[in-house]
Amino acid sequence: MSALIRMRLAGFLRGGRILPPAIAVLVVLGVIYGGGASPAAVAYGYSAAALFPVLAWQTKLLLDTEPDVQRRLARVAVGPRSEAAAGLLAAALLALVVCTLAMVTPWLFHGIDTTKAVGSGTALGVLAHLLAVPPAVAVGALASRAVTRGVRNGVAVLVTAAVLVVVLGLQGSITPWLVPPVMATARALNDVKAPPAATLVLLVTWATLWSAVSFTLYAHFRRTRS
Amino acid sequence: MRFEGLWFRYGRRADWTLQAVDASVEPGQTVVVLGRNGAGKSTLLQLAAGVLRPSRGAVRDRPPVVGWVPERFPADQPFTAGDYLHRMALVRGHDPSQADEWIERLLLADHTGTRLSDLSKGTAQKVGLAQALIARPGLLILDEPWEGLDAVARTLIPGIVAEVTAAGGMVLLSDHRGETARIPGAIHWQVADATLAPAPPPPAPARDEVVIEVAVRRADADEAVVRLRAQGHAVLGVREAGR
Repeated sequence: MSALIRMRLAGFLRGGRILPPAIAVLVVLGVIYGGGASPAAVAYGYSAAALFPVLAWQTKLLLDTEPDVQRRLARVAVGPRSEAAAGLLAAALLALVVCTLAMVTPWLFHGIDTTKAVGSGTALGVLAHLLAVPPAVAVGALASRAVTRGVRNGVAVLVTAAVLVVVLGLQGSITPWLVPPVMATARALNDVKAPPAATLVLLVTWATLWSAVSFTLYAHFRRTRS
Repeated sequence: MRFEGLWFRYGRRADWTLQAVDASVEPGQTVVVLGRNGAGKSTLLQLAAGVLRPSRGAVRDRPPVVGWVPERFPADQPFTAGDYLHRMALVRGHDPSQADEWIERLLLADHTGTRLSDLSKGTAQKVGLAQALIARPGLLILDEPWEGLDAVARTLIPGIVAEVTAAGGMVLLSDHRGETARIPGAIHWQVADATLAPAPPPPAPARDEVVIEVAVRRADADEAVVRLRAQGHAVLGVREAGR
């Protein structure tokens, strides 16, 4: 499966399709850190939330790079489960690289306030990004051509999910659990004081369950749509 | 390998592409699937390969290693032919050098550095053939394998088919051009009206010839006759010009 992951990443990077999401990441970082230094937890909380739609979009682009017939050839070569898993893992790997760059870059431009809780803030920031990656990959996968079949449906799924994550994630939302806890994480980190352990456990459980449901849905669609 | 009560359609509201298909293929057997364009030959082959999932029924006892040559090779990929085949060998869990044998045999050595998107249709088709053969498939599925291939490459296919079946493998291929006369011992299936039925082998194409009268310089006559015969043409006679 690792050979298929490498092949898909190589196809995505060589084809140049990574450029639009890479530029979007730079814009997001510019907006977040352009205004001066902020405490690590606060900055990284916003960074994870702002990167969520970009990571989902990047996942869709990565999965859609391969022609449909090549995806079927991969399926014949490694079996349907490994073929689907390889795509998700390739997207997750790429998302982790982007998150790492997004966390390291502000240090180069003094975007992080080094006088306040740097260690715990960075640890919380790592957690926030790790909580954003699986749901973002799941949304991107559900918007991919293998599931939605057409460009219009794919973009609709992606945009709807990105908007709902913000709208249903606002404070006072009636159904916050319909979306992953991207906004809730950013809110929990929006304080120099670390959030209570119970909040963190809730966020991790929420993100895990939401991702599990979404990946199950993806697996179902991949089984039933060829 | 058995097709058990196979039904397939491309969507819940679509018409059935295949209905109630029951058939089996024995090890060492070659099956030629005949039918007009759009009859469902490709669909049947993709169900056999496991690329498509039947709407009802199942394909049982499919050999573990399947090689599928799609009707059109997906050339829109940012790899060279050599890089692509080496990567596909790795994806299959083989050493990349395993691909080199097929690069040689399918006369692809001159094209390994060419990007897939720059290959001619026939060469791209040979890359598609090579990727299916790298893993020594127990089931080889060829969707219109002669399409776009040049004369030399065409002659390679019967040998490859014979190699797979001699090793106890099965071969399924579709053909609407009547090239299957080149594959001895194959059984034939006909796909029509969404159903599958055994079919007699298509008759060998009748000799369809025309007579061309050509004037040749007297001094070159002997050489022209020899050359025309060597090219497989029948020389019916030689006479004086103007009579």
